[in-house]
Amino acid sequence: MKRFLELLGSTIIRFTTGMGSVLLLFAESLKEMLLPPYEVKNTFKQVLEIGVKSVPVVIITAVFTGMVLALQTFTGFKRFGAEALVGTVVSLSMTREMGPVLTGLVVAGRAGAAMAAELGTMRVTEQIDALETLATNPVKYLIVPRFVSSIIILPSLTVIADMIGILGGYAIAVWLYGMSSALYWHRAWNYLELNDIFGGLAKAAFFGAAIAIVCCHRGFYTEGGAEGVGKATTGAVVISFMTILISDYFLTAWLLT
Amino acid sequence: MIEIRGLYKSFGDHQVLRGVDLRVEDGQSMVVIGGSGSGKSVLMKHIIGLLRPDRGSVLVDGIDITGLDAKHLYEVRKKFGMLFQGAALFDSMTVGENVSFALLRSGMKAAEARQVAVEKLRLVGLTGVEDLMPSELSGGMRKRVGLARAIAHQPQILLYDEPTTGIDPIMADAINDLIIKMREELLVTSVAITHDMHSAYKIADRIAFLYEGRIVETGAPEEIKNTQNPFTRQFITGSAQGPIKIEGISA
Repeated sequence: MKRFLELLGSTIIRFTTGMGSVLLLFAESLKEMLLPPYEVKNTFKQVLEIGVKSVPVVIITAVFTGMVLALQTFTGFKRFGAEALVGTVVSLSMTREMGPVLTGLVVAGRAGAAMAAELGTMRVTEQIDALETLATNPVKYLIVPRFVSSIIILPSLTVIADMIGILGGYAIAVWLYGMSSALYWHRAWNYLELNDIFGGLAKAAFFGAAIAIVCCHRGFYTEGGAEGVGKATTGAVVISFMTILISDYFLTAWLLT
Repeated sequence: MIEIRGLYKSFGDHQVLRGVDLRVEDGQSMVVIGGSGSGKSVLMKHIIGLLRPDRGSVLVDGIDITGLDAKHLYEVRKKFGMLFQGAALFDSMTVGENVSFALLRSGMKAAEARQVAVEKLRLVGLTGVEDLMPSELSGGMRKRVGLARAIAHQPQILLYDEPTTGIDPIMADAINDLIIKMREELLVTSVAITHDMHSAYKIADRIAFLYEGRIVETGAPEEIKNTQNPFTRQFITGSAQGPIKIEGISA
């Protein structure tokens, strides 16, 4: 019993210490983001790195998600004669849920892992210390550009994912099942509200901020050489995935009230 | 001048520094010697404010840097240049961008910064390497680029973390010569940490021996060579026999 309580206590302490450390880094990033000079060039570089290079994988993910949504909906809804609603299901699912969440997961897996690995390597090879000795704040120079660009990039990629997903659904519904093109678009747009789109984009922006802070935090505080970098990278992806999926529920519940 | 007073630092239960006192005069070349894990690197990181002590003070030109906020600490750091053990070059940048990094950050025009970078690289014996990436350089070249980067913004104090570790003896001697050249030509104060006694005797005005978190002895190279202190004697002669015990090995 004593051993169990010790284990429980140390887990709680480790968790709260970790959370506190992430929140402190978040607060410092916000402060450095608002204070001049601004890292404009570095931020554009990160937009390219995190955003533009993620476009192909986001497109592939979104098109197949839209396609499988249409496939399942068409065959499932056909049982009670509601297959005409396939456009509505695909557009609502993509904009409200699948677009932001899948984009978040893709970016966390691709760019988030790269952030943790790059900062982790810089930490263990003393490059972050070198920045400090050259009178450069590493939070401002390394973390703020990744943070800002992630908040910009996630909603932008989500817009692409939404459009491509709906097109994927169109391909299956119209080309495979012979549904009328006009009916698909009518159903897709008619029941879609602006709130569905903007709610999804707001969630995407939150996921962007969360991915950047979690992954940069893991990389920035890496310890223990190459093994430490590996652990930091794995940890960054796992925690980002969990953060996205858990926060998605609460954000959705909040947006629906 | 750098003055360290009663410096204590621990990491968890591990007490690394146990009251370090050290004074480095302007223009002096101080070499801190000590075994692996003796706290040399931790001491050096305190001198430039990368670590904050549990107790004690580090005075740089009379200013205690241990209590400074980030903004003022960055101002003090402009007085320093540091050569890291593995050079710590930014591997996403070219050699030229590495050397001109601090200059560009301080607002210097790109063309002028590149000119200064070329000049500093020439000072450490490197020409035509500005557009190479750090991964294309040998260990010795990386150290020299690291040195060029450390001196680019004309610091008053140069810190060397194990400057001759990991390179061949001839290159190590060339680095020693460069350290002497930096002191003579740039008139900088130098602090180096090393366990390479050949290097220590060559570059030092004063040598301090760090053992178990304290400075055991300080003296001129000749005084250290002729020391009667059994701990210092064992270290400088590199003997496994003596009062310094190695964990897990009985001498």
